[in-house]
Amino acid sequence: MDKDQLSAYLTDKSEGKLTLLEVGRHDPIFKVEASQLIEVCTWLRDDEQLKFDFLCNLSGVDTGEQFEVVYQLASTSKSLRVDIKVILPYDGAEIESVQKVWAAANWHEREMWELYGINVKNHGKLEFLLLPEDWDEGFPMRKDWDAPDFIRMPEF
Amino acid sequence: MGLIKKLPVYTEKMPGGGIVMTSLEAALHNAQAKSLWYLLFGTACCAIELMCTGASRYDFDRLGMIFRATPRQADLIIAAGTITKKMAPRLRLLYDQMAEPRYVIAMGGCTIKGGPFYYDSYSVEKGIDHIIPVDVYIPGCPPRPESLLEGCITLQEKIKKQSLLDWQEKD
Repeated sequence: MDKDQLSAYLTDKSEGKLTLLEVGRHDPIFKVEASQLIEVCTWLRDDEQLKFDFLCNLSGVDTGEQFEVVYQLASTSKSLRVDIKVILPYDGAEIESVQKVWAAANWHEREMWELYGINVKNHGKLEFLLLPEDWDEGFPMRKDWDAPDFIRMPEF
Repeated sequence: MGLIKKLPVYTEKMPGGGIVMTSLEAALHNAQAKSLWYLLFGTACCAIELMCTGASRYDFDRLGMIFRATPRQADLIIAAGTITKKMAPRLRLLYDQMAEPRYVIAMGGCTIKGGPFYYDSYSVEKGIDHIIPVDVYIPGCPPRPESLLEGCITLQEKIKKQSLLDWQEKD
């Protein structure tokens, strides 16, 4: 299955839960609603033709207007790759943990939570992973974050 | 106690050893400068250059510098690499655990002023002199072993010039 066939297969079989955003240079990128995330992820993992058994990466993105959570998936048996993206509003961003589907998400979700302030429901251990234990200066990877000793790169 | 009993014998042999106080300083500080044991504290790529300097090609041992894995036995802390805000209290703790007199070499741009992480970084401490007093700064990213050797020799010169009164708490 190449990436165009995979895009067609996913659009066809997902019953409208996955919306194709773009067929990227390497992986197709799909959008999924936050409420249907667990359902779609379980289906992607268990479908006989797909078997996306490996969560390569989980990242947060701050575009300035909204948050995006990107799940990069790979199928080790079928040699497939796909990205799925959840778009969240800036205020009260919250997402369900996907640890039930891929246990590897644990640390990625902690990191996303501490750096972006995207709350992760049913995570189990939301504690600081990279930041100091006594950190109280907010969420440093947000675009509008500032601190007294934070020096922005000047325009050259 | 052995050293103190024999000290007059040694000081007699020191050049210009007429005045005991001068000779004692010279003897002690010479010994101190020639046996700087440093704490292994490599946090980033500068540690690779530090290891290279300690290995056979550049050979730290000929300056009397031997690495120690515990701060209790170390005279010198070579801060080799980026110090993050999370690491800063640990660096202070290790410094406090070292016995006086103790010295600090700030190796590389990160320890001097944050280096490449000066702009747009929330996590990096912009210079370790906010945390501990620094004796010698070695610029470079990372500094070559020659620079590190030069820095260590500079520190030895500094130690040889100091007086016993400098042993007081520095900060």
